[in-house]
Amino acid sequence: MPDERFFEPDVETMPRARIAALQEERILELVPYVYERSALVRKKWEEARVKPSDINSLADFTERVPFITKDDIRQFREAAQDPFGGLLCTDYADAATVFSTSGTTGDATLYAHAWDRWHPFWAATARDLWEIGVRPGDYVLGSGFKMRGPLYHADQMVGAIPVLVNTGIGGWATALDAIRRYRPVYAQLTGLALAELDHLSRTTDMREVFSSFKGAAFAGEPLGARARAQLESWGVEVYLWTSTGDVTGAWECRQHDGCHAWEDCVLLEAVDPAGRTPGTSAPVADGELGELVATSLDNPVTPMVRFRSDDIIRMTRQPCACGRTHARFWPVGRKGDETIVAGRSFVPMDIWRALEGVPETATALFQLVRPAREIDELKVRVGYDPDTTTSVPELRDRVSEVITAAVGVPPVLELLPEPELLARGRGGKLPRVVKA
Amino acid sequence: MTAASSAAAAAALPRPGPWGIGRYDAAGQPVFFEVGWDDWRRDVAWARAMLADHGVGPVKGDGPGGGSPPCAEKVGGGLIVVSGMPESPWFDPFETAARELGAPYSIGEIYAFEAFRTGMYARRLPVTMIFGLDRTVAEGLGDELAEVVARVPVIVARPDAAGLLARAGAQPFIVSRVGPALAVECPYRSGAHVNGAEWAVAERGGELFISTAGPRAHQASEAALGLRGTLTDGPCGCGRTGQRVIISEGA
Repeated sequence: MPDERFFEPDVETMPRARIAALQEERILELVPYVYERSALVRKKWEEARVKPSDINSLADFTERVPFITKDDIRQFREAAQDPFGGLLCTDYADAATVFSTSGTTGDATLYAHAWDRWHPFWAATARDLWEIGVRPGDYVLGSGFKMRGPLYHADQMVGAIPVLVNTGIGGWATALDAIRRYRPVYAQLTGLALAELDHLSRTTDMREVFSSFKGAAFAGEPLGARARAQLESWGVEVYLWTSTGDVTGAWECRQHDGCHAWEDCVLLEAVDPAGRTPGTSAPVADGELGELVATSLDNPVTPMVRFRSDDIIRMTRQPCACGRTHARFWPVGRKGDETIVAGRSFVPMDIWRALEGVPETATALFQLVRPAREIDELKVRVGYDPDTTTSVPELRDRVSEVITAAVGVPPVLELLPEPELLARGRGGKLPRVVKA
Repeated sequence: MTAASSAAAAAALPRPGPWGIGRYDAAGQPVFFEVGWDDWRRDVAWARAMLADHGVGPVKGDGPGGGSPPCAEKVGGGLIVVSGMPESPWFDPFETAARELGAPYSIGEIYAFEAFRTGMYARRLPVTMIFGLDRTVAEGLGDELAEVVARVPVIVARPDAAGLLARAGAQPFIVSRVGPALAVECPYRSGAHVNGAEWAVAERGGELFISTAGPRAHQASEAALGLRGTLTDGPCGCGRTGQRVIISEGA
């Protein structure tokens, strides 16, 4: 098996018709299960006058079953004093683990799993690590955060050996030592880690450091063009991955042509972001912008059912050139990230690109301070490299100039040394849009 | 199902290396150490016994109980394990043990910006033990610390958090990394037990040294840990007879 291209070839290259049949089978099992057990599902379905007997096919499910939003979960949690927001379908005692979403938006959602050997969130990730080229006996940098559970289970599933060192802020001197000793083939990177690697690259031969790597994964936020180019200049092949509505992960393959969702694990939909009900939020065509909607097919404890993620994606169900057949998608941004200031519209990525062009702020660590989606004043908190900044007032002028050019409105800037801004990060990422 | 099919594929693979690699400091130098799969299984068994002594077991429907030493009753709730990814060689056995004992667990990371997560779990869930609480997270909880202390009956804390927790009204038990080993206080509070089948600790001039005693992948010999503390021997109220360490606060 180590010589095979795919970790689970039968699953990963399953014909589309078989994927659809498998999903329909699981959905028809899920429908009565969640209706009986999930208080939030029961409430939403009763409000929409939908009963399990109305759902007899996958098409019925996607046409009639109401969506669940993060606000629905939050409101149910507060109204019913239910920590799981009405999602829990078993006794709490049946859960092995209760983890939570990053909480970047200020309110983490709990999700639980029952499991025995490997944590289910990371089980399918073994397919993705295999695709990167991780094989039995390889060392990998067992890095990242643990809030979603033991990510190193995916490493161990493919027979790799996690080297568990700190790759967070301030940890990379040690991590470089570990890389030189064990010559790992893979690591998980975050935006906050990239900021530190950027600084280390001034005194360290990064091509030599990463010469043993087959690839590195990056997640949590968009990868800026400068950061990608920098990683590539170090010889690192970057694999982006993202979450599919907090059900599981979706990773790029060697083609780097979209993130593969594992459709035996999640029913993935892309719907019109503007509407709120099945009647007004129809599926969008392949390749069109839509909001990611996820339904768990493999979690009997807290299954998400038509969960609207707020993630804007483009999706295709066309087979990938790698040979896999499951849907792929390209994350575009977060619903609601679009901001209007003084009548002009922009997204955080516009500021991101602008800051990458200023050497002292090239790591693009910033926060858009936005109490509402429409604002009168563009307030931006920007991190700068204190080691290379000689004059903060002069830097302020240059940053103001590039942001004004990108957005069309002069910003009100709060400049902070990078370490101070990094301290405001959560779950390995810096919230890019904050209220204060 | 996905988890089952992926696990089946994983089971068919060779696993030629150890469980993982950790790192500790000895004599001011980093020491990378292997944890073998057999080492890990024995660590899980020891962790099960330590957690069971604290009353960790299947969640009971009639609410939390116990918590005061000696814990005659089952704690009967979930756990928050406060640890970071690099600490997994020490803390994963306790996470695995909690799962095997039937107690759901959550992870509160050890970073200040993640302190909110420990507070959130303690506030929302029927948690009856926090295991591994350190000063960074305790301070990061701010005003919420007193509420967490009042809500969670058993707190097993790092030495650097003990004073802060005591001032907040807790009577924490102690857990501490001792080089590649983990020392954990039992409900009798007579020092933190080290698994004597695996490790031997010595104390000279107030500094702790560790050697491997068991058939582990990592063989340490009198490794100077730069850790201040004292040793206690003799029988403990819990029935164990091995070494216990008392770590100086702030270590």
